[in-house]
Order: sequence, then C-alpha cells, then structure tokens
Amino acid sequence: MEGQKLQGMVVRRVEKELYEVFIGPQHPGSGHMRIIVRLDGDVIVEADPDIGYVHRTMEKLSEVREWLKPIPLLERMTIIDACNITVPYVNALEKLMDKSPPPRASYLRVLLCEINRVASHLYGFGIFGVFLGHSTMYMWAFGDREVFVELAEILTGARLTHSYPIPGGVRRDMPQDFPEMARRAVRYMRGRLEEYRRIFVDNPVIVKRLEGVGVISRNKAAELGIVGPNVRASGIRYDVRLAEPYEVYDELDFEIPVFEEGDALARTWVRVEEIKQSLSIIEQAVDWLERHKGEPIIPKEDYDKLPKLHREVYEKTGRVKLLPAHATMKIPAGKAIARGEMGRGEIIYYVESDGGTTPYRVRVVTPSARNAIVFKYIVPGHRLMDLPAIYGSIDYFPPEADR
Amino acid sequence: MKPEELLELLKHALGGLAKEVTVRKGYVEVLVDADSVVPVANKLKELGFDHVKSVTATDYPKESKIRVTYHVSSYLREDLAKPILGLSVDLPRDNPVMESLTGVWRSSEFQEREVYEFFGVTFRGHPDLRPLLLIPELAERRVLRKDFVVKEESIYEGVPHRYQ
Amino acid sequence: MVLETILYLIAYPPLWQVLILGFVGALLVAMVAIWFERKAAARVQRRIGPYWASPRLGGFMIIVADMIRYVTQQVIIPTTVDKIAFLLTPVAVLVVTILPLAFIPLSPHELYWPVASMEYSLLIALALTTLPPLLTVVLGWASSNKFSVIGSLRESYVITAYELVAVLAILAPAASTLSFNIVYIVEAQQPVKWLAILNPLAFLAAFLAVLMSTSAFPFEIPESEHEVVAGPYTEYSGILYALNMGGGYIRRFIYAIIIALVFLGGWAPYTPGLDPFTGFIIPSLIVLVKASIVVLVMSFLRAVYGRYRLDQALDAAWRLALPLALLGLGWSIILAYMNLI
Repeated sequence: MEGQKLQGMVVRRVEKELYEVFIGPQHPGSGHMRIIVRLDGDVIVEADPDIGYVHRTMEKLSEVREWLKPIPLLERMTIIDACNITVPYVNALEKLMDKSPPPRASYLRVLLCEINRVASHLYGFGIFGVFLGHSTMYMWAFGDREVFVELAEILTGARLTHSYPIPGGVRRDMPQDFPEMARRAVRYMRGRLEEYRRIFVDNPVIVKRLEGVGVISRNKAAELGIVGPNVRASGIRYDVRLAEPYEVYDELDFEIPVFEEGDALARTWVRVEEIKQSLSIIEQAVDWLERHKGEPIIPKEDYDKLPKLHREVYEKTGRVKLLPAHATMKIPAGKAIARGEMGRGEIIYYVESDGGTTPYRVRVVTPSARNAIVFKYIVPGHRLMDLPAIYGSIDYFPPEADR
Repeated sequence: MKPEELLELLKHALGGLAKEVTVRKGYVEVLVDADSVVPVANKLKELGFDHVKSVTATDYPKESKIRVTYHVSSYLREDLAKPILGLSVDLPRDNPVMESLTGVWRSSEFQEREVYEFFGVTFRGHPDLRPLLLIPELAERRVLRKDFVVKEESIYEGVPHRYQ
Repeated sequence: MVLETILYLIAYPPLWQVLILGFVGALLVAMVAIWFERKAAARVQRRIGPYWASPRLGGFMIIVADMIRYVTQQVIIPTTVDKIAFLLTPVAVLVVTILPLAFIPLSPHELYWPVASMEYSLLIALALTTLPPLLTVVLGWASSNKFSVIGSLRESYVITAYELVAVLAILAPAASTLSFNIVYIVEAQQPVKWLAILNPLAFLAAFLAVLMSTSAFPFEIPESEHEVVAGPYTEYSGILYALNMGGGYIRRFIYAIIIALVFLGGWAPYTPGLDPFTGFIIPSLIVLVKASIVVLVMSFLRAVYGRYRLDQALDAAWRLALPLALLGLGWSIILAYMNLI
C-alpha cells in the first residue's frame, strides 16, 4: 500500500514494536467515536481520541435561528439530560434581557433538572455495566431509568426532548397528582439503590476491575479541566449548584458528595451518592410546589400581553401558549455567560447578542467535550481491558461532546 | 468573590498589560495584546485560575477581527471558583495567529483545536494542531466565520418534481 | 423381534454415543443451555426474555429460529484471510470437540463401549479435550484481524492457566480410586459415595476451571465484546460463526459429561442391566441429565458477575485455582490412603 493515498487519508508511521488498534467508530465498545490505541503487549502507550462523528453544527445553526429555536435544537445534544442542557441557555437569555422567572417556574425547572440528572446517571450506570460485562446492571439501570423518564413525561408531555424552560418561565404547570407519583418514584429508587450496591458497586469482581484504575489526582484533574462527578471524585469540591447557584438551588438543602481517591470506583460512588441527593431535592421541590399552588409560572409582563383565549388556557390547564411575537423577539445587545450542572458535569454557554432577532454567537462547551481529554492523558499506562472501565467511569457521551 | 474585588485583584496583578477590563454579564473580560497573552496567562495561573472552561472565538467581519476569549476559572481555590474570567485577544481576520496557551493550561488543548478548525486561527506551539470535530476538507472552509452562510434546505430538497 | 433388532442397532455405540448423544444431544443441550441462560438472566434482570416465538414453550423456538438464520445466512469470506485455514478450522474444532466422547464409557458393559479398552479412558479423554483451544488460536491467526489476534492471544493465556487446573482437578478421582478407568471410578462411587461430596475441593476447582477455560459468560475474556468485538470469531459469519459459538457450548458439555462421570457418580445410583435398553440407553441418559444440570448452573452465573480483567483472571488461576486443585488432589490421596472409597 506504500505510496497509495486516498483523499482525506492520513498516513502515519507506527513504531515497530507497537500494535495499533482502531477502536471505533464501528465497534461495540466505542460509541460514536474512535479511539486510536497503540499497544505495547497488553499495555496502552498512546491513546488518541478521534471525536466528531456526530457533530451536528449546533453553534452555527443557533446563529441562523431566532432566539427561542435553539432550545429544542440544543437539547438534541443530550436528549437524556434535556432540561439540564437548556436551562443555562435560557439563563443566559434571561441575563441579557434582565428578566427573572417567578419562583414557581424556577422550582419546576429544578424539579425537572433533578429528574433528568437521576435518569442520566442511570443511563451512565447501564452503559458502564455492559462495558464491564455485567448485563444485569445494564438491564436494571435502563429499566429503572424508565420510571424517571415517565415522570418527566407526566410533567412536560415528552419523554426526552421536553423543551420545557422558556425565557422567563416554563411551558407547563405540574399536574395535580404529580407530587404523589414523584414521591413514589423516590421511595422506589431509594430501595433500588441498595440492590445496586449489592449486585454491582460492592460486587468483588467489579470492585477489582475499578479500584486503582484510571486514577486522576487532584492536581491532574485541575490541569485537565475535567468536570462533573469525575472532578468531584478527585477531591475537588466544585459543583455549579454550589459555586454559582442558579435557579433556586441556594434555597434547597443538599450536599455535594466528594471522594478523594480519584479512581474509577470513586467516580462510581459519586454518582450513587448524587442520585441520593437528587432524590432528596425532588422531594423538597415537590413539597414546595404543593405548598405554593396557583402561583404564576411566567412573569407578569408576559402574562399581561397574552390575549384572552391564551389566558383561559393558561389558567385552566396550566399550559403556556406562546405568541408569535415570542419567536421573533429581539434581545438587547451584550455578552453573557451562563453555566449549569448537568448530570455529567458543568455546561457553559457564551451567548452574544447584537440586538437582532437571532443570536450573534452561541458557544456551548458540554461536559463530555471537556472530559474527552481524559482519553489522551489518563488512559496510557493501563491495560487494554481497562479502557472500557475508564470510558464507562467518566461517563463519556459522544453526541454531547461533538455538539 | 465579588466582581469589584476581582477587578482590584486583576489591576494589581496585571498592571499595564491589560488593555481593557470590562464587567460583562456573568464574567469579567480582560482584553490584552496578542504579544502579551502568554505572560498574562502565566500571571493568571499564578493567581489561581487553573483551568480553561471554554475557548471561544467570535468573528467580527465589519471590524475585520476575530476575538479569541479564554474563559478561565479555578478548581483548587474555592473563592475563585465563582467568578469566570475572560482573557481576550483580538486577531486580524486575514491572518489570525497567536501563541498557544496549552503550555499554561493543558485543558485548552482540545478547544484550541476546535477554534483552529472552525475559525482558522493558528496556535503557535500547540502540540497537536489538527481538526478535532470536522474532516480536513470542511475545516478548510472555516465554517463558523460569518461569511460561511448556511444554506437552508427546503423540505422538498431532492424530491423529484412530479411529487411536489 | 423387530423392535429388539432396532434397539440393538440404535445401541451400537458409535451410532448412539457419538452421533446421537454426541452431535444431536450436544446440539440439544447447547440449545437448552442458551435458552436457559437467556431466560434465567431475564428473570434476574426483571425481563421476560424470549417469549413471542412460542409462548407455550417459553420462547424456546427463538433458538431454533436463530439456528435457521445462522444456517441460511450468507457466509462472508474477507479477502485478507488465509482461506483454507479460515474455512477448515471451525469444522475441525467441532470434530475435535466431539472426539473425547469416543473414549468415554456410558455403560459398565464392554459390549456398549465405543472402544475395546477403557483402561486409560480418563487420561485419553482429558488429553483430547485440551485440543480445541489450539485450533482457536489458529482461527484467530487465519482471520488476519487485529481483534482476532488479540482475542486468540488472550485465549492462549487463559487456557494455559486453566487447562492445567482443569486437568489436575479432574484427575483427582483417579488418585482416590487408583485407576484411570472411568468405569471403575463410576462403580466405586455406587450408590451415593459421589466424589463431589467426598472431595468438594477438587470438584469446585474443576467447575471453576471448566467455566474459565471454555470462556463462558461472565468469563468470556477472549471474546469480550467491548474490547475485542468477538475475539477470534470477529471475521466469521453465518454457519461458520454458529459452529464456533456452538463449539464453546459443546466443549463445556463434554467437560460436564466427564465431571458428571467422575464427580457426580455417572449412572449411579442406578444399576444397569444387560440388555441394550437398561444397560446402555438409560445409564447414558442419566449421565446426560447430570451433565446438563452442570451446564445450566454454569449458565446461571452470567447474570451475577462482571468480567474479570485478563491479568486478574490469570492471577486467580495461579494463586487461587491451582492451589485449590492441588489441595483437592492431596485430599483424594488421603481418601485413597484411608480407604474411604
């Protein structure tokens, strides 16, 4: 094949003793990405994450759509965590517009965010389980995730892509019987977590696979700038909900679980503990919402603009019907940054407006995009069989990273 | 830490290197010259800003410049975790070249590659400057610049005329 | 008279034992094992598992449908493979896997043995069971695929470690009964002096080693999907893939037959008669049922455990399973010395 070069083909020389393996993109253990791994025997000496297979030009498309339209677009990055990924964008718009949602809308957003977070962690557990050859964990996690996906459906009308928050509020109020369902789901999940611990997290085979694998020290974690449960497993107490509480997180009572070990097992434990905290937040949010029935979910100035028919629908069913004016609204010129804590970590939006009907620039950095660097700097030195363990433990999600 | 305190801290640390310091919504922007970006970054790192959250580039064709902003913050110093600092550099649009900051902040490596492929900004001293998300052919067209126009397809695109 | 002739014909050892029990029986056991594995795992995982293909049979027909699919599927032969080795090895694997059955007695009567002498049957059968993994290595090499090569390398590591343990542990009964003759070992266990009860250490070691060396779930290190796709079988498709995958199950089944004979008392507590029906067919079916139970128990573990890392599995072999097998061997010598059997 010497000398033959196809268009777009990159030829690189590999050292003589090394064995180059292309894991992905058509590989059961890679997801929509490719990791080029060079092996010396069974030990990885070099790993090159080749991402971008599911790049969908989110940033460019946001520039050519009116302000509201990127909401349903951006949540396609991580449909399993759809509310968490859109709330910071909406927050950025609200910062530019100097608008703030009424407390009930904020609580509803937080409620959905936490439901999403539990579902997202369970999804991660499922993938993690199947990567380690533990099919029971896979089936259990995906089965139990269904509980929270259904909760989200009852709340918003959509299983995954809710498009729930809008600048200044949310699109729907909570159904009457929702609090009871949420409490039941929380009770159920608490019991299941105990069973997860018994069969997966404390399983001797799994512990042996994870302990001391993919260790990221505190300083290394800061140097690589990784996010989310991964950074909290390395002893860094950083959570956007703590550092810069958005929505109503400063009124809620919850803890940020931090582990010191920095290995795959610690990352798993952080997720388990976070699910517990999220369940507690769901309970608190539901309690608050029950105590404050009938409060508005959109700001007064928006309500005043609604025509009579739309007001009736809003008061009867709790559904907000937007006016066409909403779609073509103009936002004052300025630059804003908003961040939020997704299931997988911090998401950051930089939104710039020139006063027009479309964003001038939307920059989004998702948690997986920042975690991708782990493959390059942490994986080398491990055995090939550790690759799925590390991949699963950082909960990397290619569509989210590629945007 | 409040923005005013941060401004004070920056003024003290950077001295005359900062051309312009502005408080934006959610972050503090520090504009510096392209030549002094590495010393400023080093100073910021000494202050405790240890990781890059986002490397953002924005294209301003009217002013014929591309502004590259490094949004940095801190993990190890908890009081610096709240503010976000934007370290901005203005580059000429026809030949955007700047020093890579991967030597200062390792976390900017992949995002600099992204800015390279989307805007054509070349980072001198970057260890591995290749397109990250796009294929090389597409990266050469610098798709996030304003003069690349997205062609919106109609839903009948490609459907034979007799069915329309 | 006619019936008796037919019975004698069926009870002709090469026909009954190798063809009917060996091929058809092994196929059936493999199918039941796969079905049970899926069904049991589904039960643990709060699913239903196979169902709609035949609700009354608990979805068993899905396995038949799968086999029809395998048989009728196109066999893709990549251009880069070593064609002769690529095509012949799966067939050779199957033949070699069945071969130990020719040296295993399923009846105490010489008339119903496939070969004339059973004096060293345990040794020969064990020696033959260690052949197929060598062919797996050939298979991976012939595929000329990186994942195949890594997979077959892993296979060779695993079998070096666990085959030794398996052989040592299964030879323990020979030490306690002072004979390599399987018939003698079985008769010594009559009626319920089963060696699995008298010598649980060796039984456990044998069970573990067989599980590992036949790369059953959750120990499918050589073909673990998320690192090496399908290991040595990555390039195979259609019937050839089915032969490979079935080969693993059949190999486990042959091991299970040997374990059933030397540890679980073979046809004991039943005392075979002389005519073909009571002397051959019934005892062989008893062994088959015992072997099937061993295979099904092995299948069940899939739902509970994750996959070991290669170096951890090898570590467990040399530090845990090998001493266990040696202890079992020592215990069987003590058994023989104290005349307990």
